[in-house]
Formats: sequence, C-alpha cells, structure tokens
Amino acid sequence: MILQKNRHTASYNLARALDKIWLYLLVIVGLLIFCIPVYYMATTSLKAESEVVAIPIHWIPHEFHPENYSAAFALAPFATYFYNSLVVAIVVVAMTLFLSALAGYGFAKFNFPGKNICFLLVLSTLMIPFQILLIPLYILVYNLGWTNNYAGLIIPGAVSAFGVFLMRQFCLTLPDELLDAARIDGCNELRIFLSIVLPLLKPPLASLAIITFLGSWNNFLWPLIVVNKADLFTLPVGMTVFTQPLRSPYWTYIMAVSTVATLPVVIVFLALQKYFIQGVVLSGMKG
Amino acid sequence: MAEKPLSTNSTMTHQPARPRQVSFGTMIRRSLFFRRSIYGFLFVAPAMLFFLIFSIYPMVNGLLLSVTDYTLLKAPNFVGMQNYIDLLTNKEFQNGLIVTALFVLGTTIPKWIVSLGLAMLFVREFWGREAFKVLYFTPTLLSGVVVSLVWKLLLNPGGVMTALVGPLVHLPEIFWLSHAKLTPLALIAVDDWAGIPFFMIVWIAGLVGIPREFYEAALIDGAGRAQIFWNVTLPLLRPTTMFVIVTTTIASLQAFSLQFIMTKGGPSNVTTTVALLVYKYGFEYFKMGMAATMSVIMFLFIIVITIAQIRGMRSDETSYT
Repeated sequence: MILQKNRHTASYNLARALDKIWLYLLVIVGLLIFCIPVYYMATTSLKAESEVVAIPIHWIPHEFHPENYSAAFALAPFATYFYNSLVVAIVVVAMTLFLSALAGYGFAKFNFPGKNICFLLVLSTLMIPFQILLIPLYILVYNLGWTNNYAGLIIPGAVSAFGVFLMRQFCLTLPDELLDAARIDGCNELRIFLSIVLPLLKPPLASLAIITFLGSWNNFLWPLIVVNKADLFTLPVGMTVFTQPLRSPYWTYIMAVSTVATLPVVIVFLALQKYFIQGVVLSGMKG
Repeated sequence: MAEKPLSTNSTMTHQPARPRQVSFGTMIRRSLFFRRSIYGFLFVAPAMLFFLIFSIYPMVNGLLLSVTDYTLLKAPNFVGMQNYIDLLTNKEFQNGLIVTALFVLGTTIPKWIVSLGLAMLFVREFWGREAFKVLYFTPTLLSGVVVSLVWKLLLNPGGVMTALVGPLVHLPEIFWLSHAKLTPLALIAVDDWAGIPFFMIVWIAGLVGIPREFYEAALIDGAGRAQIFWNVTLPLLRPTTMFVIVTTTIASLQAFSLQFIMTKGGPSNVTTTVALLVYKYGFEYFKMGMAATMSVIMFLFIIVITIAQIRGMRSDETSYT
C-alpha cells in the first residue's frame, strides 16, 4: 500500500524514491532467483557437453547444438514416453471432467435418498492424502491385473473429489427455471445435462481441466510404481530411469528432455493464463 | 426444487388429508419425484463407484493391511499391533520421522514468510508489475521431476552453485548433495524455490480481496505500516493463511520426488523421509504390511497437525468478518 500523504517535501520525495529503488532491487533479485534455473535449463539443452561444467559459467551458449534434442530422443524412447504421458493425461482429463460434472450436477440439482451421505463421502476422500492410498491402491491394481497397463495409469486417477465439489458449487448457481423449462419442452434429463448444463459449466471445467492435466502430466510416484515395462513409462518416469546411470556427459540431453517435458505446460499456461492461475490457486495442488 | 411450489399449493386449497384415496396429482408428483431421484442417483453413481473402489476401499484396506505381514507374494497373516510395535524401535523409521520433521519445518515456515513478503511487494503499483508476476510464476510450470533434475545439475560439486558460492568460501568444489549437513538444507532450499512463487500468487489473490476501506480507516486512525500489517492485513487474510499453512504442510509431509531423484535418501539416510521409506519397504523389500503401517502413522500425523493448525487459526481472537 502506498501511504498517500500531502507532504511533498524534499525529504519525503527522497524517501519515496529510495522506497521505489528498494522495491525494484528486491523484485529483480527475486526474478533472478526464480528465473535463472529455468533459463539455465533451456540454454544448457543447446550447449556443447563440454560447456556444461565450464568455469566461468557460460550463461549464453558459445556453440549452439539444437541437435541435442534429436540426439536425446534417439538415445532413449522419449517420444514413446511423451506419447504415453499425453494419452494418459488426455484420457484422465476427459474422464475427470465428465464424471465430475455429472456428479456435481446430480448433487446440486437432484434429491435422492442417501445424497448427503454420498456427498460427505466425496468430501472425506478430498482429505485422504495419497500417501495412505499408495500401498493398498497398488495392491488393488495389481490384483485387477492393471499393472503395466494403461488402465492402471488412468483409471485410479479418473475422478477427483475436488472436481465434484467444484462442479457442485457451480451447478448450485444455475437457475432451476432454466432446467424446468427444458423439461416442459420435453427434454430428457441426459439431454438437459449434455446440451444445457455442460455448456454453462465451461469456465470451471476449463480450470479443472488445467489442474487435472498438470496433475497427470507431472505425476511421478504413481506411474513409477504401477508400470515397470519401459514402453509404458510416462515422461517423468522415463526421464528418471534414464538419468539414473548417467553422469555429467549427458546433461545437455537431460536438459533437452526436461525442456520438452515442460513445453506442454508452458503452452497451456500461455494459452489459458487466466484459467491457469485461477485453477491452480483454486486447487492448491500442483504436480 | 420443483416439488416445493406444488406442495405449498395443495396445502393452500385446504383439502382434508385422505390417506386411502391418493389423488391423481399426488401420484404424478410421487412418480415424478421418484423418477427425478433416480436420475439424480444415476448422475452421481459413476463417480461414487470410482470413489468407493479407488479411495474408500483402499483406505479401509490400508488400515487392515497395517496389522498384517502381507508381502504381495503370500497370503497375509494377522499380526495384530506387531508392525506398530516394531516401528517404535525401528531406527530407520525414527530417523525418517526426524528427517521428515526437519524437512517440513524448512519447507513450510520460510515458504509462508517469503511468499507473503513477495506478495506484499506485488500488490503495490509499479512499472512492469504484471510482467514480473508472470516471470515469477515460471518455476511453477516445472514438474517435480524436472525441478529435481535441473537442481541436480546446478548443485553438481563443480556446477553453477559452486561457481557462485565457492569463491566466497574458497572452495573449488562443494558437495551440496553428498554432505551430511548440507544436503538436507539444499533439498529444503530447492523445495522452497519451487513452491514460493505459487504461494505468492495465492497470497496476492488474498491481499487483493481486502477492501481498501480497511486500510484507509487504519491510516486515518494513525496506524503505522507494522500496525496495519499485524492488525488489519493478517486478520483479514485468515482464510488464505489457513489454506497456505495447511496445504504446504500436507504437501511437505508427503514430499517424495526431490529426495528420490536428487539424493535417493542419501548421504547415509539424512534425506530419507517417511515417504521414501514407504516406497522402499513397499516396492523394494515388498513388505506391504509394514509399509502400510508407516503410511497409517503418517496419515495420523497429517490429521493431527492439520486439526491443530485449523484450531490454532480459529482460536486467534479478533474477527472482522
């Protein structure tokens, strides 16, 4: 907050100028701290391997090697991992959006016996940390025969309690008259949901889609344990497994893959910045 | 709901209740209500099925597993509280609890303070503010795995961080990730780095929501900056504060990828958190029962800490809302 006082004396002006200088100093130091590692990742991916450990640090690559990217993708099946991550993320997003909207609408606009108990159940699962589910969920998926399987990667994450809660909150604001009018016109309930309710839910669905996409794209622990066949690795798992035996000679490749792994998130961020920040703040969960 | 106007209508016509002869309207209404509740149920059912199978059942099963010696290879035996008793004297687990506690302390309190401080800078008007804000957000775009890999490179003994800090302490190489004292601090710093920008955005959202009138009133009353912060800003930020405190704590208690990728829990277990132990016991030793016990204990910790935090926040006197 700026203290607005009508004292435009010289010392007051000086104090204000100093204040601004301090402000910019802090903000720029913060900027360097938060951005340099990301910048370093992107630039290292283009360097010659010998430059990585060069002292003094090469802040700008002295030689440009964009072929690091193709070389990295030739070294390990990162294209497959990328594809796996994308498929899993898209299916998870689609299922989460549909199931959450469906349930949120059901909770908001219908009455049925046991509704409150069901909703309480949903809210309670919101509070279960993944930590406690890890072992029993793995055993369940193992017994279902879903380890090393897309189903194991997708199905357990295909609905989110947060999503149901979010959709319910938005559905509560929809006017009943609108739905009743459609009923009088002879619309059946599924049609009302698909052609009237869903389009109205676009803004919260966009936020939910972004959160869910991020969660799935960045998910590490679950794919790590549920898949151990290399051709089913998602990108985070593939990157980790790939980097275990490698030492510094491969850092440019590792940074190239890291950059590629970040690109989809950057694209989503730039395209949907408003929903992005809103969604991420809403959920309070990242990755 | 559509039923309500209909029912008020029927009481207004003052018709005496006829229990045996149900009117046509009531029948329609009942069948309508019945049909609509069926629809409501159908809408909710698919998601509920998922929750029951993939959240509720595993959670109950986790509690049950914690009293067995299940190994995934042979049928589980009931062992009572033996796993819990074993863990009491398990050096690895005790160490894990301490490591986790230190990590949680290091990745919560500094995160709250720094991110709030930055947010207070960013609610002031200055040239280029929006651009700065977007650039500050960049670490949030990296996944945990990418953060770990990038910082593993930066924290190489002869890497960038050494080049920056080394000359000050006259060391040609600093073993950030293989030094018993330094490594936990390094991981804490990385986690703070990755989390602060996100919580800064959360705080900004909270700060922007405070009506200007409160500040104006405080200024008229002659309050100084510190007084305004403690007596106006903080109390009005309480919902945001609660959110930040609870989410950072829960996330830190479960932190996994940093430790797993950057240090594998080393050197000599100084970064082996309970989350890492659960993974080790479950998927390297296949002691599923023991691993489940550890996660139940962690879960209890999470519940107790969360409730304590929410209680603590509530019992703060002053409420302006």
